[in-house]
Amino acid sequence: MPSSSSSSAPTPAAPSKMYADDVSVVVVLLDANPFFWSSAASPLPFSSFLSHVLPFLNSVLLMNQMNQLVVIATGRNYCDYIYDSSAPTNRKTGNGKMTALSCDLVAKLEEFVVKDEKLGKGESNGAVMSSLLSGSLSMALCFIQRIFRSGTFHPHPRILCLHGSPDGPEQYVAIMNAIFSAQRSMVPIDSCYIGALNSAFLQQASYITGGVYLKPQLMDGLLQYLTTVFATDLHSRAFLQLPKSVGVDFRASCFCHKKTIDMGYICSVCISIFCKHHKKCLTCGSVFGQAQSDAASETNKRKTIRT
Amino acid sequence: MPEVRIVARNFMDMVASLPAMKLDQLYQNAFICQAIVRSLPPLAKKYVIQMLYVEEVVPGKLIEEWVLPDGSTKYRVAIDRLVQLRIFSETFDRTSGTSYRLNPTFRVNLQKHITIGGVLPREPMSATITVRLPSLEDLEVYAHEQWECFLLQLINSAQSERMTNISPAMMRIFQRGLLTQREKDAPRLTESGFQFLLMDTNAQLWYIIREYILNSEELDIDSADLIAFLLELSFHATGEAYNMNTLDEIQRITIKDLADLGLVKLQQGRKDSWFIPTKLATNLSVSLTDSSARKEGFIVVETNFRMYAYSTSKLHCEILRLFSRIEYQLPNLIVGAITKESLYSAFENGITAEQIVSFLQQNAHPRVAERIPSVPENVTDQIRLWEADLNRVEMTPAHFYDEFPSRDVFEAACDFARECGGLLWEDSKKMRLAVKTEVHMQMREHLRGQR
Repeated sequence: MPSSSSSSAPTPAAPSKMYADDVSVVVVLLDANPFFWSSAASPLPFSSFLSHVLPFLNSVLLMNQMNQLVVIATGRNYCDYIYDSSAPTNRKTGNGKMTALSCDLVAKLEEFVVKDEKLGKGESNGAVMSSLLSGSLSMALCFIQRIFRSGTFHPHPRILCLHGSPDGPEQYVAIMNAIFSAQRSMVPIDSCYIGALNSAFLQQASYITGGVYLKPQLMDGLLQYLTTVFATDLHSRAFLQLPKSVGVDFRASCFCHKKTIDMGYICSVCISIFCKHHKKCLTCGSVFGQAQSDAASETNKRKTIRT
Repeated sequence: MPEVRIVARNFMDMVASLPAMKLDQLYQNAFICQAIVRSLPPLAKKYVIQMLYVEEVVPGKLIEEWVLPDGSTKYRVAIDRLVQLRIFSETFDRTSGTSYRLNPTFRVNLQKHITIGGVLPREPMSATITVRLPSLEDLEVYAHEQWECFLLQLINSAQSERMTNISPAMMRIFQRGLLTQREKDAPRLTESGFQFLLMDTNAQLWYIIREYILNSEELDIDSADLIAFLLELSFHATGEAYNMNTLDEIQRITIKDLADLGLVKLQQGRKDSWFIPTKLATNLSVSLTDSSARKEGFIVVETNFRMYAYSTSKLHCEILRLFSRIEYQLPNLIVGAITKESLYSAFENGITAEQIVSFLQQNAHPRVAERIPSVPENVTDQIRLWEADLNRVEMTPAHFYDEFPSRDVFEAACDFARECGGLLWEDSKKMRLAVKTEVHMQMREHLRGQR
């Protein structure tokens, strides 16, 4: 259950001393939602977005031979790994026009988009533009758990969301669960959000896990933003000037209609959030007392969930 | 890791000391640029990546502001390194102070590297040729064996069964500094030689490679070319075969030497011969930095000073023999005891107690490594105590004077020696004194003046 109070202080990932300092393992979540990239909300076409991101990914690999990079594509209907720098099947050198990474990644991305489209056939309309961020976050965390369990000596991983699609309030519970799980395992979630408005989910994710949230202003310099802020390893962050969060939107979504709300009702047993009064908690089934008048229950149960 | 005093910090110092022309020449190769970037301190890496697309000169003040105020020493270190390697060029302007700019060749090559990617000068053997290539595990075993055999030969052990093809002259160059070389005595490990054995493989490898490069200079091979070739080699794929005819004459000689060290495996095909880089070769650019992959330990030390080493390696046995008494050896186990005598002979060779303790701790078997302390305290304490025993007597070179003509002369001499801070001992009854060697000359002048 996600706790709606997110007042805990951001926990910066403590650098462990067991491996070389500046090795990073980065799991990149790449937004590949066609509805967003073709919409007016997208500030730049997907192709030029990729042309900024690919050199960035290459420069992450350039910085240390032991750096590991995993890219997960976030689609409309599903997510998948599209690149893993440690996989033995990777081409070792490029073809002279593109780097090995770009060749592999673009090929896999094409497959991904086709499959994503097929899965989305049954749905009626593209009114909801959000992509499956909760899915790709969970996949990233699973991958990271695998690293944690692989042995005693491992570099500290981090997650980087390159996201553009607007938040999907229906994913609120899943995303918050993922965020808290990342916080527990001390995995910072960095996010670079290129959509029109700020993403409340990603702001919260970065704030709670001690990552960096950035909304680039000029799209022409996206690569510069990425290399300046997100290419640095966790160890170096301790002595670097990084963008600070200005304001974080902490609003929650209600569990009953998945709407983003300012004020709501909270079950005192399981802390589920509802936008209107129910007789019984929809999550845990606790019966809410009806003895008092509505006005009294109002004061009891109605709490602000803004922290 | 034990502090490695014999290696001049690392290989990059050697690169940095190359003349400017040669450095610029090295940066023509994109792979070398990449290897250089990887060797930089983390902050310097960040600066390079960040300045990659900035064409103008950037004021040093601005660069310094990218770090938090308490990181300014790190900033200095990073900038110094970059300037030293000629990656940053410094310009001074009265209005804006010192400014920096990225080396243009370096910039273009790195830009190319992250957008287009590098292409090796040679292709791996195509899959159409049906030759059995060694598996990655076989290759690793081969590299390990070859390297161990080389090390055993290096420390002149009678234990090495087969000899590598490295010429005795070359071997002597490698041994320089690691072994004492006196005509009559059998060569013995020096203090730095012991340190060398305690280093991890990558560090050892670079020490040897560094000697190799220095030696090649004497043979009139351009060291810049050699460095370029070695760094390039580290970007080849492990386990792929590359054709030998893509190499020039000098490189072919080099690769044969490298095969003896276990960096590459040579394979003779029907028509062509091939070389297959091993992990040692591809790790070359990793070990430029001080990052070291941890190896699994193998030693268990008991409180009764007995030592069990789970290892099949002859080299391990040789290292342990340096400071312990090996009692018996089973196929996968070496049993020994740490005794006063064995430690005294180690101390005589210049090995310190601290080195031995840290070696035992770093190579502790996983079962005991979890415990704190991994080596029993009574053992570590005793090792240190035995070392301290040897240091009870302090030696000072001195000069001894007697037969003074009169008590006045003797007392004046004592006072003079005391003033100079060189009086070690005096016996006023028999009028004898001893002074430090440093003040002997002054003392003689003084006594002459008295006459």
